[in-house]
Amino acid sequence: MSYSKKDEDGDQAIFKVDRTTVFQEARIFNTSPISPRKCRIQLTKIIYLLHTGERFPTAEATTLFFGITKLFQHRDPSLRQMVYLVIKELASTAEDVIMVTSSIMKDTAVGSDVVYRPNAIRALCRIIDATNVQAIERLIKTAIVDKTPSVSSAALVSSYHLLPIAKDVVRRWANETQEAVIANKTGGGFLGLGSSSASIGPPSGYMTQYHAIGLLYQMRSHDRMSLVKMVQQYGSQNASSIRSPAAVMMLVRLAGKIAVEDSNLRKPMAQLLEGWLRHKSEMVNFEAAKVICELPDVTDAEIAPAVHVLQLFLTSPRAVTKFAAIRILHHIASFKPNTLQHCNMDIETLISNSNRSIATFAITTLLKTGNEASVDRLMKQISGFMADITDEFKITIVEAIRTLCLKFPSKQAGMLAFLSGILRDEGGYEFKRSVVESMFDLIKFVPESKEEALAHLCEFIEDCEFTKLAVRVLHLLGQEGPKTSQPTKYIRYIYNRVVLENAVVRAAAVTALAKFGVGQKDEDVKKSVVVLLTRCLDDPDDEVRDRAALNLKLVKGEAEYGWKFIQNDSIFSLPVFEHQLVMYVTGDQSTFAKPFDISTIPVVTRAEADAEDKSKKLRPASDLPTLKAPTITAPGARPSATPSSEAAVNAAAASQQYAIALSAVPEIKALGQLLKSSRVVELTEAEMEYVVTAVKHVFKDYIVLQFDVKNTLPESVLENVTVQCTPNPPEDAEEEESPLVEEFYVPAPKITVDNPGTIYVAFKTPEEADGYSIATFNNVLKFMTKEIDPATGEAEEAGYEDEYEVEDLELTGGDYVVPAFCGSWQVVWEQLGTGTELTEVYGLPKETVKGIEDAVNLIVSTLSMQPLEGTDVPLFTSTHVLKLFGKSISGGKVIAMVRMAYSTANGVTVQLTVRSEEADVGKLVANALS
Amino acid sequence: MAGFFRRIYDWLLSLFWATEMDITMIGLQNAGKTSLLRVLSGGEFTTDSIPTVGFNMKRVQKGHVTLKCWDLGGQPRFRAMWERYCRGANAIVFIVDSADIAALPIAREELHTLLLKPILEGIPLLVLGNKSDLPDKLGVDDLIDELDLREIKHREVSCYSISAKEETNLEAVLQWLISKAKK
Repeated sequence: MSYSKKDEDGDQAIFKVDRTTVFQEARIFNTSPISPRKCRIQLTKIIYLLHTGERFPTAEATTLFFGITKLFQHRDPSLRQMVYLVIKELASTAEDVIMVTSSIMKDTAVGSDVVYRPNAIRALCRIIDATNVQAIERLIKTAIVDKTPSVSSAALVSSYHLLPIAKDVVRRWANETQEAVIANKTGGGFLGLGSSSASIGPPSGYMTQYHAIGLLYQMRSHDRMSLVKMVQQYGSQNASSIRSPAAVMMLVRLAGKIAVEDSNLRKPMAQLLEGWLRHKSEMVNFEAAKVICELPDVTDAEIAPAVHVLQLFLTSPRAVTKFAAIRILHHIASFKPNTLQHCNMDIETLISNSNRSIATFAITTLLKTGNEASVDRLMKQISGFMADITDEFKITIVEAIRTLCLKFPSKQAGMLAFLSGILRDEGGYEFKRSVVESMFDLIKFVPESKEEALAHLCEFIEDCEFTKLAVRVLHLLGQEGPKTSQPTKYIRYIYNRVVLENAVVRAAAVTALAKFGVGQKDEDVKKSVVVLLTRCLDDPDDEVRDRAALNLKLVKGEAEYGWKFIQNDSIFSLPVFEHQLVMYVTGDQSTFAKPFDISTIPVVTRAEADAEDKSKKLRPASDLPTLKAPTITAPGARPSATPSSEAAVNAAAASQQYAIALSAVPEIKALGQLLKSSRVVELTEAEMEYVVTAVKHVFKDYIVLQFDVKNTLPESVLENVTVQCTPNPPEDAEEEESPLVEEFYVPAPKITVDNPGTIYVAFKTPEEADGYSIATFNNVLKFMTKEIDPATGEAEEAGYEDEYEVEDLELTGGDYVVPAFCGSWQVVWEQLGTGTELTEVYGLPKETVKGIEDAVNLIVSTLSMQPLEGTDVPLFTSTHVLKLFGKSISGGKVIAMVRMAYSTANGVTVQLTVRSEEADVGKLVANALS
Repeated sequence: MAGFFRRIYDWLLSLFWATEMDITMIGLQNAGKTSLLRVLSGGEFTTDSIPTVGFNMKRVQKGHVTLKCWDLGGQPRFRAMWERYCRGANAIVFIVDSADIAALPIAREELHTLLLKPILEGIPLLVLGNKSDLPDKLGVDDLIDELDLREIKHREVSCYSISAKEETNLEAVLQWLISKAKK
């Protein structure tokens, strides 16, 4: 009795501990004989402090640590457990932690108490350093194959942590680990006691398998072939040796990773994944479905079984199952809405689900998959439960509606009414912001809604508690207001703000007001704006007065001058600008000798920026970090229906990267400014001995080919690698020889497995051809190969010359075109007129192009132009019209319309119509597909 | 309740009979510290023991006295940590390999550096010349000269020649240690 009471006292004391007292009190570790109970409380205090974020300085930590080592003399199990916990925590801060190695090793020995062993093993891996891992090798090996699951798990997890510090030693444990996978140890519940993870949750049986698979993966992560073997060995259905669902999940993720990384393995992996969809554990089913829809460019056929399985889960009685299923479906809906057609019925029943999270996902999924007709009905249902859900889900819905507005502009009236309705509801900043931004998008991209949306916004700022939003709305009013039929209406709203609001809003209002005055044709309006602005000159705030004075000057001054200032319709390309500034700042001292040259930054007009903005917004609104299903792939590897268009958006930034790499080579630096870099072209199969990829760089008078060579043979080294490039003119050209003349080349001195090399070959383009030459390059890799002596790791003296032929590289019209955005495709199309129009008809090869979607991707990447108006996503499988825009390297506009038709007999037939400012560019582009 | 009585019983027992004492065993690597401790605690002598990484703790029961023996690693990287375990000990046992004459100067240096620490003042020192069964070992007097034991002031110093393998003189060592507990 008294015992437990004292423990309680100890617990209360713990909440008023501080570091210095704990450190002082830790002297009880050195007393003799030891009181295990007091020491345990003391250790608990230390742990508590560490977990509240307190850190002991190294000296104190070391003293504490050595005090704790004295506690090894007592064999009390719970004291020992605490000792291990604290040792693990202090291992990183204290010095000389290696001191306890022998003592811990004694506890890990087979004969020792089973309660000690897992804890001891886990502590051991924290204190050991690389030089001593050998000493514990035998011990861990026996522990891995131990028949007690908690010991085996502890050893596996510890090996996992040891891997980074002692790779070679841990790799030798592969056999034992494999044994642990097959061993099928069950239970592990009560034996694990406390810190061992084997006792958590219902699927505790077979947890060892999960750990073992994780370790095997870490060991083999560098070797894809053995990873594949592992996944196939353990993943196949008939060899169901893996009982732990968590372990299977791990395999599912691995399979997904392999499929993403290597397209050749995609098929077998997809088969495995499909098998896992029928696994008896739900967790595995979900993971497999998720991985399948994360695959890049997933086809309808691949995704169909996953959708089917998820559809079955939608009717499950358990809410969490339903939620998981609908969340993945929601994700699928953002890029493959058509695949979900037949689940719509099931999803609709979920709208009325009492769980609001499920209902929200259901409704947003439907909004994405639904057609124009069903939108109104859904909107009505949403308004029904909008009040019951949290801000976070409201934002998801608003995002869905925003995308919908842009997709179906004709439905804007209903959606606007809905948006303005929820704008009046209670809600936090994030929610209001997303609503206001949706309305901004409506105003920008759906002109019919402008007046009404502006009116709603005016009303909103009358009673808006968020300064930031008020400022943004005022700015928009200033921008759009003067262009409307009744500008005076807005002036009243804006001036109300000047009277009623805080300084920040007043300043924004003054600027907005001025936009009505500058360049105003109507003298009355102008006069009243001047009067209002003059009143603002008495404002108590400096900023407001300054702005008022400046704007008065602009209004009264020369109209054209002020108009240009206010209009502000072109901005610098911000990604490039940022990059140039970073380069300037991080360069060496000499760059500061001359000032930063802002004229090198490309200028983007507002229309172009808007167009780019719109195409980004039309992308699936899945960028919401909070509600997206967690992904295993890195954000860079996000699957997208059309990777090409995203690449185009970042084209400017990417070519900057190349420019830096190229300017590091003195010969190439002399060629002048880089105009365009192509995408990476693969010249070999991924499985070959040497993997070669190429990039084409276009300069004013030169073409530079960049070959990146990767050596996959660890036992050989390549030296003095060059590429012999022979340019051949296109087949239909009159000349026998290509006009391109090789200027120089930069060889790669040495290529090993770890160090890929880069070779540059430069060609001079003939002047009379206007800089646009097309050619096919035959490429032969020439090098000196030397064997590596496995004993010493050094290359042998003697080598032999070798050649390696890679695929041809084509320089086409697309290489002279940079993807670009334009405000309205139709306007530019008409502007350029039929004068330069060229039309060509092609049949695309049936074997490689299996449908409209493939054709779109192929054309976009070959022509290197920007698909506009959302035409990069084909809506029908039989016909499609693709609208493209780009600029030649000299700045001339090129615009193209591609009509496509697909039939199973003939494959895809394409009619390509090109109009351009420069005739020869148009010709090049039109012929690029042949 | 049972736990409560048990504790009282233990306490009574320790009050009247049991005495605990801390003994720190140090010395250069391969002097035979771990082997000696194993033999002292009643184990078999083995030659294939691995170098101690850090320390070992063993209890040796002799009559009503429990000796808590801290056997520290002798490799150079652990020598700096000897001091931490010598603090507050009832006795320090310094073990040398009496057949390894080449290592004696280093042993002497390490011993004297350690004993200069003010915090260890007054702790009795027992120097053991181990491996006396080997042919060309040094005798006790030679050891005393080689290690400059006469220079050590302000503490009790003894020097025995022992063999863990043949178990010679071990009884004397235990008696010496126990005699330090009675004070």
